[in-house]
Amino acid sequence: MATERSYVSYATAAVAIAAIPLSFVGPEGLRLAVIGLLMLAGPGTALVLVLRFDPPRSAHATGALPLSIAIAIAFSLAMSTLVATAMIYARLWSPPVGVCVLSIVTLAILGLELRRPKHVLVRAK
Amino acid sequence: MTRETAASPPVPTAHRHDARVQYGGAKPPTHRNLGLTPTWHVGALAAAAGAALVLGVWGMTQVDPLRIGGAGLIEALPPAYFVALALSLAGFVASLSLRRLVPALLTWQLLVTVVILAGADPIIHGLPRLEASFRHMGIADNIAQSGQLDPTLDAYFNWPGFFTLLGMFSGATGVKDIMGIATWAPVGINILMLAPLLALARRLTANPRHAWAAVWIFYLSSWIGQDYLSPQAYSFLLLLTLVACLLSVFGGWAWPTERTRFSRWLARSVSKLDGAVPRQGVMEPPRADAAALVVVCALILLAMTASHQLSPFAVIPILAALLLTGRLRLRFLPVVAVLLPVGWLLFAASTFLQGHFGQLFGSLGDIGANSLGALSTRVSGSDAHMFVVYTRMAEVALVWVLAAVGAFVGYRRKAPWLAAAAGAVAPLVLIPLQPYGGELLLRLYLFSLPFAVCLAVLPLMSDKTAGLGLRRALGLLLMGAVLATATVVSRYGNDGMESFNDDEIAVVNRLYSTAPTGAVLIEAVRNTPWRFQHYADYDYRALVAAEPIPNAPPLSCDAANQIAHKAGAYLIITESQQEAAELRGSTPAGDLQRFIATCATSPGWTKVYENAGGVIFHIEGVSNGN
Repeated sequence: MATERSYVSYATAAVAIAAIPLSFVGPEGLRLAVIGLLMLAGPGTALVLVLRFDPPRSAHATGALPLSIAIAIAFSLAMSTLVATAMIYARLWSPPVGVCVLSIVTLAILGLELRRPKHVLVRAK
Repeated sequence: MTRETAASPPVPTAHRHDARVQYGGAKPPTHRNLGLTPTWHVGALAAAAGAALVLGVWGMTQVDPLRIGGAGLIEALPPAYFVALALSLAGFVASLSLRRLVPALLTWQLLVTVVILAGADPIIHGLPRLEASFRHMGIADNIAQSGQLDPTLDAYFNWPGFFTLLGMFSGATGVKDIMGIATWAPVGINILMLAPLLALARRLTANPRHAWAAVWIFYLSSWIGQDYLSPQAYSFLLLLTLVACLLSVFGGWAWPTERTRFSRWLARSVSKLDGAVPRQGVMEPPRADAAALVVVCALILLAMTASHQLSPFAVIPILAALLLTGRLRLRFLPVVAVLLPVGWLLFAASTFLQGHFGQLFGSLGDIGANSLGALSTRVSGSDAHMFVVYTRMAEVALVWVLAAVGAFVGYRRKAPWLAAAAGAVAPLVLIPLQPYGGELLLRLYLFSLPFAVCLAVLPLMSDKTAGLGLRRALGLLLMGAVLATATVVSRYGNDGMESFNDDEIAVVNRLYSTAPTGAVLIEAVRNTPWRFQHYADYDYRALVAAEPIPNAPPLSCDAANQIAHKAGAYLIITESQQEAAELRGSTPAGDLQRFIATCATSPGWTKVYENAGGVIFHIEGVSNGN
């Protein structure tokens, strides 16, 4: 379980880091996949990893697994929307910079997870 | 924790999720002594779903779009499609009947059902459905290209959140053409909705089987087709997640139930009506995590507010209903949910508010006009279209009757029902506000559906945690089949006018390559797949809306001549415009053909381009010598 969590953390971090240069330059297909994944699930996955709706087998019992996925997606989309909307209203429109901001947010939230005690889990009744 | 699955192995709760340790001794666990389902059953059901997927997709590829008539897609679908649909439905009910629920299998089967029911646009037509999809792409393109908002253009630019999201995606990836994304959006959005729907259903039902069945019924009865690339689909996804999160983490009373006479009465009444399990499965995260989730909920609300006019207002009564039924303990959140959209309307969307004050508030309090009035305008058109309209009404009635019966059954069985009932009814308080372009009832059906389906499953399923009986399984399958077939009729009933073909896109592209920037572009009937580029570069007009017009007068060349009078104009008439006019009764039958034949010979009219998808005329204006 801890291993799976680590894999997800590494994958999320990898997507966030890769998105920074790809938001400026790179093959279109790769940019589409990486940046699309970041905007769809990057910051939210990092958040859910910090919140720790675990362990996975009890997740099926309490609905924590679908809730985690739902929050990961909704939070990522909401963050992407808010960053983009803030840029347009502030007249600072720059999509690559917006993606970089999302990457930094993702990495910052993942950083919080590293500092967090490993035993903290959400209790489910 | 409550229970691992619907029929967990009979092991002590404390070690339930570590069965290997429990059984690590002499006798290894088998499907017999654990009461588990043999693996081959699961494999066979997964394979059946795979076969349904292949057959369903193949069936859709055999559709000849030219055979799609007034009753929509169902006229053109081959028997193989319905066999695939039946196979997917039977497979899902069989999986629900297994002694042990297998979430991965159920997920796979739901995904197959989604592709079969929502995949017609990409698989049959290969283009986005609804002319609004094309407009939405154009707005995103406009924002991505200009990096600015022009709130005077139309309402979309006053609630630009979703479009800025698309614009940022397009700008950062370098993908200028998001037609493929728009085409597959109905499938993608339905897949994205699976997790929040399931999370929500788990909070509104006491039994995991009920939750899975509720999600299944949702997909089978969600016919209104708001799952295209739109702010509504996006906001609905956020709304589902928001409510699921609140019910999961912040359930309970927002105030001490003994504080006042009213709170005592309220708590007693709720407990009397539904004392089942108001906190069933509620999670208790540490304080810091709960605080983080409050912020997440507020951000989701804000993103929704920036993206869509209606959804944030639909959230308000839902949150209020949950607050009053003891399922939401954040009493400030409904207040925030009011302040955000009202504040947005007053400040960020002030341009729209000033120009449309009468339109926004003119129907305030007119319940009849906003509900039955708007509905009655849709009950018109050709006989085939009337069949579609009546199917839609019957399907809505069936879901609501099932939900009402479910609420009663839940009350009798002492199963949780009140929160679902409150959530289903709450959006209806929006009816007195305004008709939302005649679409309010459709949208309210969408908002209430995730809650209504949690009630609708109650009469169809027992409370037993271990499988379904044969009779109930057959009943559930029958109901699923009725809803799914009705949805094929109702969802794709307007397919003739809502879907487009490559020829029409070619006509539109030719129009853009011919007409100089700033020219007046006229569509005969408002149903053209255009504005996906050059959103603000032309002056777009329409001769008639694609709405039912009682005793519609014939189109006259003069109407176009008047628009073109000053500087000339380009008129586009497409196949889908003709379909829309016939289907909705916007013009007399066959009038567009007559209009083309008559006006083509009018002075100043020149045919610029024509193919099977449509025709373009240039109409000269005064300054051009007419």
